[in-house]
Amino acid sequence: MEHAMKFVQLIGSLDRKERPVDPISKPSGPGDDSGPKRPETDSPSRDNLMKRMKKVDPKQAEKYRQRTGE
Amino acid sequence: MKNRIFGIETEYGLLIKADQSNVSPSGVARHIIQHLFGNKKQGIIDWHYRGHDEPPGNGGFLLNAGRMYVDMGHLEYASPECHSLWDLLAVDRAGDLLLQDCLDELELSDKVSIIKNNIDHETDATFGCHENYLVSREFPFNYQGLGLLMPFLVTRQVFTGAGRIGMARTADGWVGLDDIEGGRGNHSGTSAEEPVIYQISQRPDYIVNDFFEWVQHNRAIVNTRDEPLADPERFRRLHLLMGDSNMAEEATLLKMGTTGLVLQLIEDGHAPTGLDFDDPVQTLRGISRDQKREWMVTLSSGKHLSALDIQEEFWEAASKHYAGQDEETDWVLVHWESVVKDLRKGYQAVVGRVDWASKLWLLENFREAEKLEWDDSWLKSLDLEYHNVDLQAGLYHGMAEEGDAPRFTTNELVNLSKHTPPRNTRAFGRSEVIKHVVKEGWADFLEKTAKHQDPRNPPYVINWSVLQLQGSPPFVMSDPFRTYVQESLHYCTESQSLKPEVEPL
Repeated sequence: MEHAMKFVQLIGSLDRKERPVDPISKPSGPGDDSGPKRPETDSPSRDNLMKRMKKVDPKQAEKYRQRTGE
Repeated sequence: MKNRIFGIETEYGLLIKADQSNVSPSGVARHIIQHLFGNKKQGIIDWHYRGHDEPPGNGGFLLNAGRMYVDMGHLEYASPECHSLWDLLAVDRAGDLLLQDCLDELELSDKVSIIKNNIDHETDATFGCHENYLVSREFPFNYQGLGLLMPFLVTRQVFTGAGRIGMARTADGWVGLDDIEGGRGNHSGTSAEEPVIYQISQRPDYIVNDFFEWVQHNRAIVNTRDEPLADPERFRRLHLLMGDSNMAEEATLLKMGTTGLVLQLIEDGHAPTGLDFDDPVQTLRGISRDQKREWMVTLSSGKHLSALDIQEEFWEAASKHYAGQDEETDWVLVHWESVVKDLRKGYQAVVGRVDWASKLWLLENFREAEKLEWDDSWLKSLDLEYHNVDLQAGLYHGMAEEGDAPRFTTNELVNLSKHTPPRNTRAFGRSEVIKHVVKEGWADFLEKTAKHQDPRNPPYVINWSVLQLQGSPPFVMSDPFRTYVQESLHYCTESQSLKPEVEPL
């Protein structure tokens, strides 16, 4: 949120540099200071992930027919 | 990052969940575009022909200075120009949310899912996630210079790949009689090839050339089209179409950040040499399909190395020359080294950070819990669901919610980026003009007089490097590093008196 407020303030400023300045936001969250994070468990079954997976229509891949793009 | 402008173009898939013959992916795509620009006023729609396949109303530029449109039946989002990787991440996620918001508001979420992936398992279709890197005109855009990039691109999939079950049958479109009888898709290999249960990247099956300029047929590892979308005497744009769409935020940052640094190594003459492959296309495919995930390759010199060894060579060169260059470079170097080291421990060590590993982790656990075989269609359905951009349904987003995937931006910033441009590139100037057009009611006028608009005489034309409002001269923004803040404000003020009057029909 702090970054977001800073962003709004900077966007509102007309005293802008014409060359690259600091980025809007910097890394936040668990990967920032403590290095990459890995899941604490060996299996996703403990949480809501398994519920999400079970909700998925087993046949939905058969309905997914796309046009080839670029 | 130093001397670099980044951009990502994403083609989305649309999954029609309900068995309704009156709902088609292309119809939903057009409905979303209409809602985004017509109802929500999130940008301004094009009123001129941009090409034979882009008629008026096909899409437009957004308030955040990116572009949303329909391309070959797919919704496509082109991010605004970003000088910062963190901005790029935020605007990339903003594109996902802009589309999902539309789906929710149109009450289509229970019938349609927006899938940010690059293949379907049924028809072998593919669609892209293109990367753009601005380089100077002096960049060695030849076989010698780009050849130095090739070993990096071929092997970076170990941390940029999005993973998929199975493989596409052929890349050249050949369909044999047996295939017609048995139906296409759902392949785990042919008698002539090793079975592929799961591969780490989605696009290698469709890449058939090392260098080429086209984007649909004969897809190449390095696209050589010369279309800088900026001053052609100063800039060139490296356009890559061999990468996967990433869900993991770390993978997105690393894909763009490491590639940016390797381009800098080439520019400065510091890139590692002697890492050439005789056949980069087959090597790319071989790494992706390697079921043992050892990723061993043979160089033209005859030397055997793993993909991780090659990545380490590039990391060492970048670390030697660019450590301390700026905060983003240091972040990339730290996380690049870490992900390569952790990959040597096994895929579980990078779950949450690398998409193919996260997906494999979910599928392995689900398969075991439900006692499913790898060819079960439920697993393919989960493969897709990993890429669902709906925060409430998508499996990647479920991992992020559970704390199993590290975040490097915030929801607040992503939401802000839906309508706010990066503040230190020309995207800012473009956004100012777009906001002016929306604020002054030009869009309302156009909506009311749409049937009478002549596409040969549009009220405005917006493009990446130049725009023009009717009655005003063209406003050229040929330097993507400039914000054009003063010029855009002046241009808006000058054009104020030229606004068409609203005359309800």
